[in-house]
Order: sequence, then C-alpha cells, then structure tokens
Amino acid sequence: MNILTIPLRTMRKKWVKTLLLLLVFTLSVVSIVSLNYVSRVVGESLEKKLTAYGANILVMPRSEKLTVSYGGFSMGDMLMGVTDLRESEVEEKIQSIGYRDRISVVAPKLVAMTRVGGAAVGVVGVRFEREKVLKGYWAVDGAFPVAENEILAGAKAAEKLGLWAGGTVDLGGRIALVSGVLQPTGSDDDSVLFVGMDFAQAAFGQADHVSFVEVSALCAGCPIDEIVAQIAEKLPDVEIQALQSIVKQRMYSVHFVEHLILTVSLVILFIACCMVGATMLSSVNERIKEIGLLRSLGFSRGGIFGIFCFEAVLIGMAAGVIGYFGGYALSLKVLALLDMAGEAELALHPVHLALTCLLIVGVSVLAAFFPSWKAASIEPSTALISL
Amino acid sequence: MLEAKNITKTFQSEGVETPALRDVNLSLGKGEFVGIVGRSGSGKTTFLNVLSTLLAPNSGQILYQGEDVTGFSAQRLNELRNRDFAVVFQFHYLLPYLTARENVLLPFMNGLGTVGREEIARAEQCLERVGLAGKGGKLPGHLSGGEQQRVAIARALVKKSTVLFADEPTGNLDKATGESVMDLLAGLKRDGLAIVMVTHDEDYARGADRVVRMADGVVVG
Repeated sequence: MNILTIPLRTMRKKWVKTLLLLLVFTLSVVSIVSLNYVSRVVGESLEKKLTAYGANILVMPRSEKLTVSYGGFSMGDMLMGVTDLRESEVEEKIQSIGYRDRISVVAPKLVAMTRVGGAAVGVVGVRFEREKVLKGYWAVDGAFPVAENEILAGAKAAEKLGLWAGGTVDLGGRIALVSGVLQPTGSDDDSVLFVGMDFAQAAFGQADHVSFVEVSALCAGCPIDEIVAQIAEKLPDVEIQALQSIVKQRMYSVHFVEHLILTVSLVILFIACCMVGATMLSSVNERIKEIGLLRSLGFSRGGIFGIFCFEAVLIGMAAGVIGYFGGYALSLKVLALLDMAGEAELALHPVHLALTCLLIVGVSVLAAFFPSWKAASIEPSTALISL
Repeated sequence: MLEAKNITKTFQSEGVETPALRDVNLSLGKGEFVGIVGRSGSGKTTFLNVLSTLLAPNSGQILYQGEDVTGFSAQRLNELRNRDFAVVFQFHYLLPYLTARENVLLPFMNGLGTVGREEIARAEQCLERVGLAGKGGKLPGHLSGGEQQRVAIARALVKKSTVLFADEPTGNLDKATGESVMDLLAGLKRDGLAIVMVTHDEDYARGADRVVRMADGVVVG
C-alpha cells in the first residue's frame, strides 16, 4: 500500500467510468493506429503505381560539355572525359545501398545510332521487362518483345523506316524481328527503335556498356536526396541526378494521403483528450472532499497531482496497448476489404507499440494536467468549507 | 505546547469583508483537553481550522512548541499535519473504497514508500484502542455511524500525533454513540494527547478540562 493505492482503488470502485474512459481512449488509438497503417500501405501502393509514369533518378557518365566554335565555324557541343558506365557494376552498386528496399526499378539504356535502309535512326538498348514496369503507359500494336532478337519500334521511327509488327529489320548486320510498334507517346520514345540490351550490346560492340541508367525509387519512406547520396557514395565517378519535379509530383499524392490521415488522427486525439480532461475535471469536483481530507492528513500538492495523473497514465497505457493491437487487427481487416492485403507489409513492431504507448500516455497526462493541477491547487480550507 | 496569539481572520466574498475571528488568543498545554463552544457562526470552526493549520490567519501567530507555524513552508506544514496534528471532522470522511484498516493507514500512504508490517500492526492497535478490533477488513459502508467516527479517530491516532483537533465529533451521532466517542476522547487525553474540540453541545463540552466560549469571532469566556 502506498499513494498509488488510492487511484487504483478509485478506478476499481468507479469501474464503469474507468471502463468508458478506457473505451473512448482505446477507440481513438485503434482509429489512429489503423488509419496510419492503412495510409502507409495505401501510400506505398500509390507510389508503386506512380512508378509506371517514369523514373525519378538518372545515373549518367560524368563528362565535361564544351561548346566549340572557331573562325565562325561551330562544332556544336562536345563531350570530354566521358566516364565508362558498366551495366553489371552499376546494377550491383545500386542494389547494395542502404535504401535498396526503396528501389523499385533499375532500367539501363544503351543509346546508339545506326542506318536502316539508308536512313539514320536512334537505337536504344533496354531491359524490356524493366521498361514495361517503368513505362506502364506504353501501348503497343503487336506484341511486346520477348526473344533476344525482337525489337519495338517507336511510332515515328516505324513510319519513317516503313516498319510494321511482324516485319524484320537489319541492325548493324543482325536481323531483328519487329514484334510491335509503339502507339504515339508524344515523347522521344516515338523516334527510336527499342532493342533488347544483350542484342544492342552485341550489335554495337559495347559489351556490358550502358549510356545511362534510369532508376525509380519509392520515396514514401525516405527523402530522394538520401537515396541519391547513397548511390553517389557507391558510384563516385558517375553523375546522379534526382528528377525533382517527378519526385514532387509523386510525393504530392502520397503526402496528401499522409496529411489527411494526420489531420484526422489529430482531430480524434483532440476529441479523446477533451473527453479525458472533462471526465477528470468532473472527477476532481466529485472528490473535493477526499482531496480536502488527504490535504488535512499532510498529503502534498505533488501527491494529489500524482494521484490524478497516475489514473490518466494507467488509462493511457492500457489504451495504448489495447489500441495498438486493435488498430493493427483493424488495419489488416480494412486492407483486406480494400483488396490491398497482398500489398501490405505490416508487422507488429515492439518499437511501434512502445512509441504508441508513450505517445498516448503523454497525451493522456496532458489531458489530465489541468484537472490534476486544479486538484492539487485546492486549499484544505476551501475543501473544508465544502465539507 | 500550542498557542494562538491575536488571531484575526476575515473572509471576502464578492468584495464584502466578513470578519470571522477578531484578536483571538488560546493556549493549550500537553495532555490538556480544551472545549470550544459557541453558536453557529460564532467562529469556532474557523478558529479550529486556523489552529490546525488548515486555514491561514490574516494576522496573529500560532506557536507550536515555540515555533510560529504561520510562517512555515508548504512542505513543513504538510509534515506537521501528517506527523504532529490530527483532525477529526463531524462527518468521518473515510474513503469508501478503502477498508477500515486502510483508512487508518492513510497518513502513512502519502508517498511511494510501501506501508510496512509495523505500520499495519500500529493500525490494528489503534482500531483496538477505539473498540473496533477485528473490524479492520470492513469497508466503511458496512460500519455504523459511530464505528465510522471511531475509525476516523483511529486514523488520527495512528501517527502518534501530539494534538487532536476535533470538529463536532459527536455532531452526527446519537446520544449514546456520542457519549462513547467522548469517553474515547477522555481516554486519549489521559494517555497524554492534547485535544481541542469544537462543539455546540454544552454537555459534551463539560468533559473537557477547560471550556472556551466564542461569539461573533471573539472569545467571550
């Protein structure tokens, strides 16, 4: 028996009120935890879907660009000291960064020029299975290339070279099959021929060589700049650029969901706080005689404050634990209803549980602060008048 | 042991000042039983509250063992109320969710330190002293009014206080139960406890060593 026996016995005696308070707070925690878990999964899912609209990081060889002109004759832009970009090395290094789990797609490109039937055309070597993820908006007349010698022709390039799905084309002395023609995209993709990376590297004598690499990173859990910094650390001799406008567009959608959930969570928490505060305040008014008695027995202001705060701490802790598990279970149920259970990578984390409890205990103490302070401020004489 | 010197207390309500005590003096010796009598509104309860440090006077001194307690810090006042002074009210004010024994132990429960066996044994002794042996495990709701007042007195005794302040301790009891409470106070006085009792009942006041009469906030006899 000590001073904490008093709040414990009070809660047991007034179990209906305690239970209602616990229920209100627990429901708030359940809502907040489930909303946050669901928003995280929805945000990640949204971002994965947005990945189909292009990369957000560009890995390029480092070079110096000079615009050379002399005697009125312009030689245009000239690149000096272009570093070599090895596909296997870039791939390995990118997959070894700390944030590798945030990397959605690594899509290397080898750009070359060739002549088809006397006409110059750009050829881009790609890994088709990755390109398909990165450019989900591509629509193909015919079929997407599967075999090594199959190619995809951009709309303008196909028209210029007279290519059609099912036809063949001579690329650097190698015969390739046009499996499909891209429908117009309005981008550079329309003017080039896409060939398999292995085919391109062999055809142009550039084994394991790439011109640049497009990377699509999921930024919901980390800032893009950190991913870029980690890649730069692994690949010090190449240039890494974050395509900030794309990142911003994607993150706007993801952050919108997050901000909405945060606002709703804060509103719920505020209402729960008000409930706890109002209940504690009425409890202080009800127990004014008890406070007067305890003060007359030599209980300090701090002791009285502690009695009321301890009730809030216990309710907050219980609500935090029950609410966390309840919220977790509810989020799984909601994700199943949204048909997103497969995309959920949720797990019970002791750290999350501890943080939730800590937050809720803090909030409940904050809510109980004024009533507890009021109780502690009651002079024994004031309480005695009420006696 | 306890002395009140020139105590003045004024209450303020909506800008109106109401004098409750005017230049009141009293001295109390060790083991002395003083009864304060007076009509309702005479200021006797206010004086008791001032004496027991539950209410601060506007002016004057309360000397306890030679020290003026009106200048004590909040912490020292708490210690004084917990260790040396004990108060019994007209209504017993037992905490309904604690047993009689736990109510008696309340003065020991004002910190995080756990109540020990010695204190529990002391509480049992106090309950026995007030005639409630074997009833320590009962909740206040299961005790009669007289028994509840005895529990409140046992609570006042548990810390071996030196002064007991009793505010109408028989006011809410029938005649027979009231007399038994008075017998108990007389026994405590014989044990060396100094008692200040406020009552409006002249019969009960006769049990005191000395009777102080109050009217309109002053001592009249």
